[in-house]
Amino acid sequence: MAGSRMVATGLALAASLALAGCDGAEREAQRAADAEAAVEIAEFPQQVLWGDTHLHTDNSIDAFGFGTRLGPEEALKFARGDEVTSSTGTKARLSRPLDFLVIADHSDGLGAMRRLYDAPRLLIRDPTLRRWHDMMHESPEQSQRAVAELIDAAATDSLPEAFRDPEGREENMREIWDAHLRLIDRYYQPGEFTPLAGFEYTLMPGGNNLHRVVMFRDGYARTSQVLPYPGLQGPVDDLWDYMDAYEEATGGRTLAIPHNSNLSNGLMFELTDSQGGPMSADYARRRAMREPVVEATQIKGDSESHPFLSPNDEFASFGDAGWELGNLPLTERKADTMLAGEYLREALKRGLSIEQRTGVNPYAFGMIGSTDSHTSLATADEDNFFGKHTGNEPAIEDRALEPQDLGTEVGRFGWHYMAGGYAAVWAKANTRAEIFDAMMRREVYATTGPRMTVRLFGGFDFTEEDWKGDWVRAGYTRGVPMGGKLVDEGKAPTFMVSALKDPEGAHLDRVQIVKGWITADGVLHEKVHDVVWSDMGERPMAGGKVPAVGDTVDRETGTYANTIGAPELRAVWTDPDYREGESAFYYVRVLAIPTPRWTLYDAVRFGIELLPEAMADAVAQERAYTSPIWLGPADPAPRAERQAGWFARAGLRG
Amino acid sequence: MTLPRWTREPMVHFLAAGAALFALFAWQGEPADPASRTIDVGLEDRARLALQYERTMKRPPTDAELDTLTEQYVREEVLYREALRLGLDRDDAVVRKRMANKMDFLAQSMAETVEPSDEVLAKWLTDHPERFAREVRYGFDQRFFADRAAAEAALGRLRAGDVVEGEPISLPLSVEGASRSRAAEQFGEAFVGALDAVEPGDGWSGPVASGFGWHVVRLRTREAGEVPPLAEIRERVENDWRAETIARRRDEAYALLRGAYQVTIAR
Repeated sequence: MAGSRMVATGLALAASLALAGCDGAEREAQRAADAEAAVEIAEFPQQVLWGDTHLHTDNSIDAFGFGTRLGPEEALKFARGDEVTSSTGTKARLSRPLDFLVIADHSDGLGAMRRLYDAPRLLIRDPTLRRWHDMMHESPEQSQRAVAELIDAAATDSLPEAFRDPEGREENMREIWDAHLRLIDRYYQPGEFTPLAGFEYTLMPGGNNLHRVVMFRDGYARTSQVLPYPGLQGPVDDLWDYMDAYEEATGGRTLAIPHNSNLSNGLMFELTDSQGGPMSADYARRRAMREPVVEATQIKGDSESHPFLSPNDEFASFGDAGWELGNLPLTERKADTMLAGEYLREALKRGLSIEQRTGVNPYAFGMIGSTDSHTSLATADEDNFFGKHTGNEPAIEDRALEPQDLGTEVGRFGWHYMAGGYAAVWAKANTRAEIFDAMMRREVYATTGPRMTVRLFGGFDFTEEDWKGDWVRAGYTRGVPMGGKLVDEGKAPTFMVSALKDPEGAHLDRVQIVKGWITADGVLHEKVHDVVWSDMGERPMAGGKVPAVGDTVDRETGTYANTIGAPELRAVWTDPDYREGESAFYYVRVLAIPTPRWTLYDAVRFGIELLPEAMADAVAQERAYTSPIWLGPADPAPRAERQAGWFARAGLRG
Repeated sequence: MTLPRWTREPMVHFLAAGAALFALFAWQGEPADPASRTIDVGLEDRARLALQYERTMKRPPTDAELDTLTEQYVREEVLYREALRLGLDRDDAVVRKRMANKMDFLAQSMAETVEPSDEVLAKWLTDHPERFAREVRYGFDQRFFADRAAAEAALGRLRAGDVVEGEPISLPLSVEGASRSRAAEQFGEAFVGALDAVEPGDGWSGPVASGFGWHVVRLRTREAGEVPPLAEIRERVENDWRAETIARRRDEAYALLRGAYQVTIAR
């Protein structure tokens, strides 16, 4: 038939043209190298860079199934500020572009859903795959059901053989990965916009979320030598082996970012190693080196703190509702005893405990936010939330009320989703190398969306006088920035902290320093200090607490006013509880004044009525979490030796 | 392999595809045409089936397997034709959407792979300078005040030549050559808008509102953004050209087909 011959001709032509473009990668590498060389590297990080390290496109098996039809190219365009049309047909443009982006599609079945969708039905032998194929073609609802089944199958280790077949998988993955790496290199504009290569490693034993985003420092020449590492089988040590092998073979660098520890049912930050044995110093060192930052906040909840673990912290419950019910697909409910292995503040404390025992802190991580959006659109603000996936883009007007695919029968609803967060990076320039290196030294922080500028320096001699001069230089030369370590020299540490509001956003309520520490008897402690807040004169501390800042949100119109709070809060603070020999960490939490959540914006925009429970949650205080600064001995020895050393210094006999 | 130029034109593909579709639709509802009940499976078709199998299974099919595949193919073809005859394709949303997507794909597939020449890209750059121009850059001084009244008072003093530092906030008093987006990121959109309303060399002016409070500003320099040479931004121009060419070809192809239809819509 004329039609099929014509298509065949077209394909042959396409193939010959694709071959003609083979030297493109080399030319591209040269261009990127030249452009990188032209970028000025600052002496100290001067400008915070904003990005998302966790975005899914139609190459992700679940994103495609949920209906996303935008690919990595649209994702890059959107992130750098171009207008795109979403999968549900809405035009979208990010009013403030991002500085960098990691597209982190699931390595398992990378592109498989799209291929299954496009495959001739005739050739699909596996009955389950054929069913999913039919469901995806039937309707968006059926397509989402197919993905829910697939996530279930992945969680229960019962995926069809074709998804595991290593050879077929490898060839398909090679093709997609290769095209993806070329694409992001083309969009790399050193100094302006930086896409980094990455993928999501989706380890999920029994539905317990042990996912990591793996991110590379390098361009095509190196990253194309490997394939994204599949995550369906653990343990996580295998991923670290893969990362070691990559670095050894290519001379490149890579790191992993755990996320949604809140859905791991206690497995993300265990006191043991991944096999359940006691954690060795080597294991702890490896984990700390491979996983220098953790995603603290994203669409599927916030993992900074939980009221069960921090009963004296009245702000600890942010972003916990719904997610705290159990693991990712809610195949297992959560017991209170699991929480300590899930929330970051507790994990940082556990790190001190393991360090006391082994001499190495496995959980010395920094914190970032990201979206985990499955729409190819990296939106993190409450007033531009594009949905967790295409099944709940704003075109679905009552999405806040809708049951969700993951565990609705036990009470997880649309309104439990957060709008997502961003990663703020103090890099010396906007290049792959500088962003990656800033993450390795943990000079990063998380926000739940607002672009607040937060600085934190730790030292021993900062004073209020420093604000009058070049205090950033003072911070770097006389102290360490967030993510750094202070050596305990018998003197209380002093911190210089500054939080500047998002120029387009809400005023700030308060700045807190969260301290966690361990006493010689091995007991862990934590305390949240309010160090500076707005209108301190009219809002004096009462009973050890700063009174609430107030609430200007109009529930009818979804608006707020910056008549309360302050544009900037800064302070020099010295730890009043310092005791020599007690290892500690200090991180900053900044709270903004109450503002509408995306659910309230939706309710006003679409005229829907939220259930009382959702309405009570429709206003919240957005926040930022910095990476901690640690205080401890220069070379922490295991406990027995360290005690002996301390006794010796104190002139005592052990 | 060289093909006449016309074979590369998407319009030609479209017309051919249109003719094929017309032929398909013509069958529907007609008395059984003997030709439409003939299925010839040629060697080419068999080779294609074998190739598809090999792509999936990583080995060529055995003769028996190829016979099974051929039988499956014939079965599907028979049922497909009968389904068309019964008009089952007409009210199936998925089939409609899929066919429409295939038509779009035909129109855009060429633009996805072709390597545009320098001339094409140079013209693209000349035609759309605003997309590739460097950003406007500003050099300015600013002083911050929480209250408007304090800012107004300070404006008078600054104009009189006094040294005024403003109230403390972590924003630079003096900014050199900041791009528009950088300035907006730091000071907000409203503030940068106000910079566009004054001229360099005008001296101190304001107060200007920002998300932080009030500022008195002095614009020193404003460099208009220039368009860089093609060699410097070739990839960006090519990406832009490709994206837009794909969309344009799709729209043009549709417009051509749409022109041949008389559509009436009841209101």
